[in-house]
Amino acid sequence: MKILLLYIDPGSGSYLVQAIIAGILGALFYLKNGWIKIKSLFSKGKEDTPPGNDKEDA
Amino acid sequence: MTKKMPDYIPHPASYRDPAGFVFRANGLYYRQVNRSYSADYEELLRSGLYQKLTEKGLLVPHTEVDNDLTEHPDRYKILLPEQIPYISYPDEWSPSQLKDAAGLTLQILHIALDHGMILKDASPLNIQFRGGKALFIDTLSFEKYDPALPWVAYRQFCECFLFPLLLHHYLSTGTDRIASAWPEGIPATVTARLLPWKSRLRLGVWLHVLLPASVRKDSLPGGRTLSFNKTKLLHLTGNLGNILTRLKTATAGPSAWNNYYQHTIMSQTYLAVKEQLFREFTGDIGFRSALDLGSNDGYFTKILAEKGVPVIAIDSDWSCIDNLYRYTRQQPGKDILPLRVDIADPTPARGFNNTERSSFTSRTSADLVVALALLHHLTWGRNIPLPEIAAWLSMLTGAWLILEFVPRTDPKALELAGNRRSLLPDYDAAVLEAQFSPYFSIDKQFPIAGTERVLYRMRKNTFV
Repeated sequence: MKILLLYIDPGSGSYLVQAIIAGILGALFYLKNGWIKIKSLFSKGKEDTPPGNDKEDA
Repeated sequence: MTKKMPDYIPHPASYRDPAGFVFRANGLYYRQVNRSYSADYEELLRSGLYQKLTEKGLLVPHTEVDNDLTEHPDRYKILLPEQIPYISYPDEWSPSQLKDAAGLTLQILHIALDHGMILKDASPLNIQFRGGKALFIDTLSFEKYDPALPWVAYRQFCECFLFPLLLHHYLSTGTDRIASAWPEGIPATVTARLLPWKSRLRLGVWLHVLLPASVRKDSLPGGRTLSFNKTKLLHLTGNLGNILTRLKTATAGPSAWNNYYQHTIMSQTYLAVKEQLFREFTGDIGFRSALDLGSNDGYFTKILAEKGVPVIAIDSDWSCIDNLYRYTRQQPGKDILPLRVDIADPTPARGFNNTERSSFTSRTSADLVVALALLHHLTWGRNIPLPEIAAWLSMLTGAWLILEFVPRTDPKALELAGNRRSLLPDYDAAVLEAQFSPYFSIDKQFPIAGTERVLYRMRKNTFV
């Protein structure tokens, strides 16, 4: 079955893989920004580090 | 009345892409855009992407030609791209060259996305080196971006760029042999088996190597569809870029031949005398191109490049080629193309019908060929007979040859010969001159003071 798929569409493949990777990276990005926000709550007044996430732009 | 056949030759490697093909006519390379690609081609121009990429010097510029050179039923447009003087292949590149080609692919991908387009393939063959810089040459690689779809060329990018560079990062193997063994890209399953255990500490290896190597199908069970969008794509390509910038390309330790000229057992006087002679020998002849065989770190390649001519430098040691490439990158005025080629086993003709990628010997020539401290490697290191070497050199050069004779008693030659001394053919300067005489006439010769070596300047016999 795998061979057949490759034969039909050699250029593509990897769509499922990309969706999984993008999902993991998106989650990590979200956690990282969350962490930066929490840190900035405790370091207020010292230095304002911009979180630079998508929500800021929206 | 007979119809005149159009006088063009399609490039044998240009059959894969239905969007068009490259052909040769009137001594120039052209590119036909097929009707099926007309919308994407017009979008490339309309979106400003073509202008942006050519202004930045990332994509080869072209002009549209009115003359119907192909008289082909699918013809939409015919383009005359700025001509690329020399085509090289990924199995001739050093790790830094492959890394720059990968970086250029991602950079172009991101600019394309800003213009509503995307790269539909990520072949290293889309890229060539000109004036020490990577240049994207496939004008038809762009298509309109559909945010609902992932990147169609993701797997190709990984297999052709990321995996060879990852393997090199951990194993310091060079990337040329991987590209040679896997011209269509090294699969994730093979890469996963070759990478050492410590590579598992890197998230990127889990995501881009181990995960694809273990996922055996390409769709979710039950026919569910996957959602994708531009943010996800940018996470993915941004991550590829981050991994790429952290990958090492330099050699871990000194290889057999790099730093030859810095740490050679021979004296600095030898080098100074040889350089002076070399400058004299190259000073009073005209040449528009040069080829430095066995260039090592490129000490003499750099002197040749001072003349303002394009110089191709080859060596069998990827780390020497990598060093020279990294130097070249910082010298915008100099046109040096360093390539990893083993003279005893130069790049063969490859691909379908052996015509997609041409052999090193058939594609390479220069007005001046330079072979310094090389002959003994071929004769005593690889047992190649002198007349064969002379014949090969005469195929490469258009006019001139600068050759260094290294006698059998030379310490470097003795080192090479090792225990095989009695088996190796003996020759001295007189034998060399006799064996080269059917192909070359000696124009100048000078002993290199303090050694038994001789530097020759020879002219190719025109009747050969």
